[in-house]
Amino acid sequence: MDVVERCEREQQVTEMMSLALDGLLDEVGRQRLQQHLDTCPACRAEWQAMQAVSTLFERSALVGPPLGFAVRVERRLESKQKKRRRTFGGVAVLTSSLSLAGVTVAAVCLVVLGIVAWQWLGDLQSVQVGMEAASQVASGMGLVGKGASLFLGDLLLRYGAPLLFALGAGVAVLVGLWTWLFVRRPKSPQNGYVG
Amino acid sequence: MDQERAWIEQALQGDRKAFGYLVRAYERPVYNLTYRMLGDSAEAEDAAQETFVRAYTKLATYQPGRKFVNWLLSIASHHCIDRLRRRGRAPQMSLDGPSPPEWITSNAPQPDQVVSKKEEREQVRQILDTLPPDYRAAVVLRYWYDLSYREIAATMDTTESAIKSRLHRARRMMAENLQAG
Repeated sequence: MDVVERCEREQQVTEMMSLALDGLLDEVGRQRLQQHLDTCPACRAEWQAMQAVSTLFERSALVGPPLGFAVRVERRLESKQKKRRRTFGGVAVLTSSLSLAGVTVAAVCLVVLGIVAWQWLGDLQSVQVGMEAASQVASGMGLVGKGASLFLGDLLLRYGAPLLFALGAGVAVLVGLWTWLFVRRPKSPQNGYVG
Repeated sequence: MDQERAWIEQALQGDRKAFGYLVRAYERPVYNLTYRMLGDSAEAEDAAQETFVRAYTKLATYQPGRKFVNWLLSIASHHCIDRLRRRGRAPQMSLDGPSPPEWITSNAPQPDQVVSKKEEREQVRQILDTLPPDYRAAVVLRYWYDLSYREIAATMDTTESAIKSRLHRARRMMAENLQAG
């Protein structure tokens, strides 16, 4: 019997031993195993060792946790939920602030766009009435407002594409944050428990 | 079973009192698994607590067709395997093989002799400690929970043939250690 053949045979025999310990070896298999064990001292010793370990495990009872385990789980759960609520609150404040800032910037940009459009389209008859109304609003903004609108209008004309890209990115971030807040919103805890 | 389902439903609505009943109902099997896997009572308690915290936060993913205790054992066994891998306490395979448990090499009473529960627990710990995490989990689930190969495979997210192979190899390793002593 060469080495490879012997190893394969040993592999088969120990597999049969494992199945026998689990009660999954059929009658034919049990007889084959017994016949082999009767003639092979090495496998017999291994079988006895497997049985010894198996017996030790089988008679070893379940170990229970120390007293008060359930209470400690409750405390841990409470602590985790507090931490989660704090994180949620922080993200909620950040998201709200960013949203408010975004809405403000968007409003200012709309006003600026209106003024720029008025300057471009001011001589068209069809929008004359609307432009006059916008002109009145713009004049009401005073010097600071006019200066700001000119600055923003110039900014938009020079850097329109990057600004639009930044705007899109900002909107995407805000949508992501609001989605996260919606998905991760904490459920209101009902009753605690006492173990 | 109906009571268990009711507690799960209530816990899903955020009722932690109902979840507390589930904790008390299954603290023993979960703790036993973490203790057998990790071999240290303090670490076992921490892992068992973490198992229940994870179960609570992932309760919506529990499928009612599955035994709840097996679902908990699945969370616990994966968590313990991760811990064992992180702490690098898994035995390294070497030509010499892992060192045999103390009770095998010493003149201490053999398994077939009467020993106290504490000593017996220590003997079991020493034997299990010689196994890699995956093998250890399969052995613990087989002996202490009497799960079938299919149930162990479902608990450990693997195949029945993988479990059969792990149990066979684990038993061979343990027997070889015993014989080496």
